[in-house]
Amino acid sequence: MKKFTGFLMVVAVLFSFAVMITAEEAATSTATATSTATGTDTAAAPEETPIPDNTDMTLGMKTDSNVMPATFRGGDPDSSLVHCLEDVYYEKQEHALIYKEDASEIKEGAKFESDPNITWDTKVKDADGNWKTLSSANTNMAADGGKFYAPGEYQIGNSGARQVGASSSGADNEAVGEGDDPTDDEKEAAGGDKTETALVGENGKTEAETKTVTAQQSMGVQVHDVTSPDLWVAFQEGAGTVDMAATEQELKGKMMEKIITTMGRPFSPNADDYVEASYMFIDEGAEGERDLEPFKKTARLTVAGALFNERGATKFETKAIESNTLDKEAMTRQVHVAGGDKSALKGVFVRRNVPFIFASMAIDNGDLRSKAGEVACRIEKADGTEVEKEGNSYLFRVPNFPRDNYEDQPEYFFVAKGSDKSGNLTTVRTPLYVVNTQAAFEGGSNQ
Amino acid sequence: MKKTILSAVAAVIVFGSMVSAQEPQTGAPAPAPVNLEKTPWLKGVEISPYPVDISPVIPLKIYAENSEPIPATMTEDVPLTVIAETSVFDEAPPAEYKGQAIPNPRWEENPAISWFFIDWEKNKNHMASVSEPLAANQMVIIPTTPTGKGAITCHIARKMRYDLEEPGRTKSTYANSSGAKDVRVLDITPPLCGLEISIENGPSGACWPVENPPDKYPLPKQADVYLSGALFNAADQDILIPGLELGSNMVVAAEQGSLNVSPKDKLHIKVIGGDNYKLDNAKLKFGLCNGAGGEPAPASPVNEEILDLGKLKLPETPFLYLDATDVAGNRQVMFIPVKIK
Repeated sequence: MKKFTGFLMVVAVLFSFAVMITAEEAATSTATATSTATGTDTAAAPEETPIPDNTDMTLGMKTDSNVMPATFRGGDPDSSLVHCLEDVYYEKQEHALIYKEDASEIKEGAKFESDPNITWDTKVKDADGNWKTLSSANTNMAADGGKFYAPGEYQIGNSGARQVGASSSGADNEAVGEGDDPTDDEKEAAGGDKTETALVGENGKTEAETKTVTAQQSMGVQVHDVTSPDLWVAFQEGAGTVDMAATEQELKGKMMEKIITTMGRPFSPNADDYVEASYMFIDEGAEGERDLEPFKKTARLTVAGALFNERGATKFETKAIESNTLDKEAMTRQVHVAGGDKSALKGVFVRRNVPFIFASMAIDNGDLRSKAGEVACRIEKADGTEVEKEGNSYLFRVPNFPRDNYEDQPEYFFVAKGSDKSGNLTTVRTPLYVVNTQAAFEGGSNQ
Repeated sequence: MKKTILSAVAAVIVFGSMVSAQEPQTGAPAPAPVNLEKTPWLKGVEISPYPVDISPVIPLKIYAENSEPIPATMTEDVPLTVIAETSVFDEAPPAEYKGQAIPNPRWEENPAISWFFIDWEKNKNHMASVSEPLAANQMVIIPTTPTGKGAITCHIARKMRYDLEEPGRTKSTYANSSGAKDVRVLDITPPLCGLEISIENGPSGACWPVENPPDKYPLPKQADVYLSGALFNAADQDILIPGLELGSNMVVAAEQGSLNVSPKDKLHIKVIGGDNYKLDNAKLKFGLCNGAGGEPAPASPVNEEILDLGKLKLPETPFLYLDATDVAGNRQVMFIPVKIK
């Protein structure tokens, strides 16, 4: 047994020596390889490798900060786009050799002569495919956070720079501009040849010892629309020989102009401005209600004019309403206004024998509310069959309100549906009541 | 016995682990622990500085027009057209990076370009932009602040796409190109110093210049001079003297405004303002002088913060003067009339 133990000891010692020798050989060959790569030759005079002009950089979103999968809403996983949602806080981060504590990975023996200068750029792609700078923040921090307030394709860029000093002075003199110093005229303008004091850094070193090394990386971000479009509906009555077709075109023209100008917000809070036509506005809301995080989003319903109450009183009323998830996976949302007794919108009240028209427009934050489009809307019966116009306008000859008195008359509904490219919806389905002419509007009673 | 065997095994393990520790690292270096006291800018950073996917870095050189080198020293407020020379504007991206082939590389988008001027003395940068149309690789840099350590930097990113090994699959990435040119910026703006004057237990006033228009080039620089406070009969509203040449002969005429004092007043004088780079404090002078223009002819002790007028022999046309020079040699001499009642 003693022999066996002694044998084990011998094996252990021999093995240890063997691997130590192997390691030394490996280290020697590594050192040789390194010196070859860097051009070092012990036989020849050492040749200084220059400080590189730039280095690699990594950049990304922190994956635990609400980033959507690469295939979100049909995304191409090889597009390198990061998928985000509007109005959500994201944290981005970057790293490069120029941000490290030690400069030796940039060049052996080099040292940093300054803190890094770090700038976060946010660019957005315009309709022509060109990048427009939205912001440029010189934070000097390698992590940053913020929200994208509008859908679209963005490019986050990080521009980094840092002064790197060579191990021996004067090795990188070319770092300072190579051209001539100021002309005599310029020196004269500065008060003669008295500039040298100003041209030396605060620490008394000359700039020839240092060089600005840069790094840069970009990240494409697809910001998805999770806000329902803003939708306006206008109802206008006509009488006598009014050309309702021309009136309808004029109404649409006015709406198109106003909805873009006001970014979807009601164009006036004054009820007196809604005598000519009554308006229903559904929009993202006022300041403080806009750009809420998806699960906190609301919308605002505003009705203005005489056609939203049975008495025909001109009113301006506004109320926050819910915005609900339409598709959990696609993160789309829907704002729906269901009129009725329990709703902020009781219904649309039109007079019998009075022709009327309506028009609807929508704008979306997906294109920064830059253009308005018509919205599909119609009047239908309870069973969904569409009510047709009589000529150029709608006209109901028999009242159906109050419902208790006209149970035999059909129920009518006004329906509208606005959608954006991402599938977010704004929909309306509200009762449309035909009230008895004169009595409803002048006597405050329907009979 | 068991102890001996255990010792032998332990010896093998210990020597083996010592050897492992000496073995050279392979692959990407393991990220070193971050010392946030020394690298506070890395707060919140969790990623490695070593890219995993292909993202080629393309060399970039910055030149002046006609491929002239960038001058070592630029002049404050003087525009310089700079040009980025880089293959990021070529027809196709590089087909190889750091020895790794990039199959079938093609651009996917236009380049996104940012130009900056970094003032290393303040570690602040200024983004350069122009309204006039320029070639994509050009920019006009106007350094508005002097510095002994500055750099023009250009950063360009361009989205590209290349083929993956799997047939029909492609991947997009960014090619990045950036570079810098270290420069100094010569100060050509005279100091913008003023004076604050008060009388013991009495009224006060101040006079100071404001560069207007700012960053004017070509020279001369211009400034408006403001007089405020009861001592300048401007208690309710500042007096503005527009369009003086900012330099060594800034004379305010008596009809434009004056310092109004009594023969026995004790004036407390304090210098306000400064230079857009560095004031040469050794050359700063102020006090009363005889007449205006040219070299001030002192009529009071120089740089006395309290002037007892009763003890001075005042000249016929006394002026308050301020003589300031910056370290680049730009000089401001301002004369304010003094009326003694």
